[in-house]
Amino acid sequence: MNRDVSGQENLPARDLSVSAPWDYRLRRTLTILLIYGAILAALLFFLFPYFWMVASAFKSPGDVTTYPPVWLFSPTLANFDELIEDMGALSALRNSLIVVGISTCLALIFGSMAAYALARFKIRAKETIALEILMVRMLPPIVAVIPLFLLARKFGLFDTYWILIAVYTLMGLPFVVWVMRVFIQEIPRSVEEAALVDGCTRLQVLFRISLPLMLPGLAATVVIIFMFAWNEYLFATMLTSSAAKTLPVVAANTVKPRGIAWGVASAAGVLMSLPVVVLALIAQRYLVRGLTFGVVKG
Amino acid sequence: MALASSVYLTRKSMPSQPGFAVHAAEGPPRLHRQNMRENWAPWLMLAPTFFVLIAVGIYPLGYSLWISLHDYHPSNPSFPQGFIWFDNYVKAFLDEQARHALGLTAIFTVSSVAASLVIGLGLALLFNHQLPGLAIARTLILIPMLVTPIAVGITWRIMFNPDLGVINYLLGLIGIPAQGWLASMNQSLLSVIIVDVWQWTPFMFLILFAGVRSLPRSPFESAAIDGASRLQAFFLVTLPMLRPVIVLAVLLRAVDSVRTFDQIFMMTRGGPNLTTDLISLYLQRVNFKFFDIGYGAALSWLFLILLMIAIIAFIRYSGFLRGAAEREAQ
Repeated sequence: MNRDVSGQENLPARDLSVSAPWDYRLRRTLTILLIYGAILAALLFFLFPYFWMVASAFKSPGDVTTYPPVWLFSPTLANFDELIEDMGALSALRNSLIVVGISTCLALIFGSMAAYALARFKIRAKETIALEILMVRMLPPIVAVIPLFLLARKFGLFDTYWILIAVYTLMGLPFVVWVMRVFIQEIPRSVEEAALVDGCTRLQVLFRISLPLMLPGLAATVVIIFMFAWNEYLFATMLTSSAAKTLPVVAANTVKPRGIAWGVASAAGVLMSLPVVVLALIAQRYLVRGLTFGVVKG
Repeated sequence: MALASSVYLTRKSMPSQPGFAVHAAEGPPRLHRQNMRENWAPWLMLAPTFFVLIAVGIYPLGYSLWISLHDYHPSNPSFPQGFIWFDNYVKAFLDEQARHALGLTAIFTVSSVAASLVIGLGLALLFNHQLPGLAIARTLILIPMLVTPIAVGITWRIMFNPDLGVINYLLGLIGIPAQGWLASMNQSLLSVIIVDVWQWTPFMFLILFAGVRSLPRSPFESAAIDGASRLQAFFLVTLPMLRPVIVLAVLLRAVDSVRTFDQIFMMTRGGPNLTTDLISLYLQRVNFKFFDIGYGAALSWLFLILLMIAIIAFIRYSGFLRGAAEREAQ
């Protein structure tokens, strides 16, 4: 194993040719085993809670609180039934889809236009504008939720889709503006200038030339802003009461002062996390860019 | 604000736009009309974003600032009660619980970010090998950051259950006695930090891995030629070169940890005995349990100012966004 044989004159040539490859192979095998071992440990730690949530969701009320925990059980959909029948999960799912869908579209349209202006036009203070938009990302929701709650009541927007759509659009904007700005800057100007020379207007250039080239950037941002809006709880619970409540609110309602309905709560978790996990794992090569505002390339 | 001033500046400069003479110097000459359109087009494109930013961001925050100067209890029929100047802010400075919550938030954020940085960096280096199966493992390991925080809180609360939870069961298998976890005053903060590290280390890993991947080869080769050990190569080559990526990842992680609410609200609601009462949970109680809305607004603003100072100091210190400024200079 050790290579600290320094006295070269004492080292016969045969020794090197025989021991070095063996040495190398053993070290390599050990290293690989160590890497796999460490990765296995990491996977266990990071995946076990999710596995446990999925397993609990399909356990019967008897199985879920058994001690010691049962590993083999006959799966049941009873928890999902209860979630839909008693907790109103279906209407919450519909609310979530409407609110998140519309706000994602709005953020994409508004943000892409702003990003295009910031990337392509000569305007003053554009770094300042971009930074002010980024500040939204830094704003803790708990700070904004009280004034929004009061204003929503004042303007009759409380417990409507509109207030949540407005908030989630704002939440998505910094991601769209920053990521798209980087992507637009990477599109060669000459392509657009050629279209301008051919008589396109600026808006035509945007929609016919630049937009198709920006699709990877759009994919990156869609995943991110969908995820953040879909998972959002604080605004959803404070700004709605019944008509517009989204899935995370229903999930949180499974936790009651006297305890949690373990199976139903886990079922809510599975229902909620499934779309994001599937979507993000499909689009994972875009995640890095989206999450880092386009700064780090994945 | 800067938004308004920049609009004003451009408006003012528009009529005095020079005609062809200067344009010939700048580039190919264009029609004057086209030039006018170019000047309002970017502002038209920025308008929807500005509108949302002002209507949903700046206006409510300004409203909150106004409320913070009032004694505002909506439960009381004669609201809003009078204008009380800065009494709420004075109250905040004397509030032991607010200080306690800020301290807890600082401990929570620093330890959670530090732990996920170390683990995330380790994982990034670990996954930077060409071995079969690593690509799938790399994808799967991202799952925690995708799971809805509410579900994360619920699941960990179930797993942390001292009597029936799977964690104490698994620890029992290797001979470790049952722990109190979230229910124990000594372990509750540690428990919520573990959950935060679990959920957001994949985020750290994802960004750092992208950073490690993009490192050039040659510095490592010259370090090896110079006889650097692997440890030396890590501290003298890898870390300095990863610095910008690390700074960005730490900033984004810290901003998220400071605001943590959902998971802890599901797990402990700040208890037991306020040992996990982070600032966001305390603010929630002030506003929606004590209904002391004026005070809550003042506290929110102080928190916001502290946070902004911390972020700006961090950005200044670390040189983050210097690249963006250079881009603009070009």
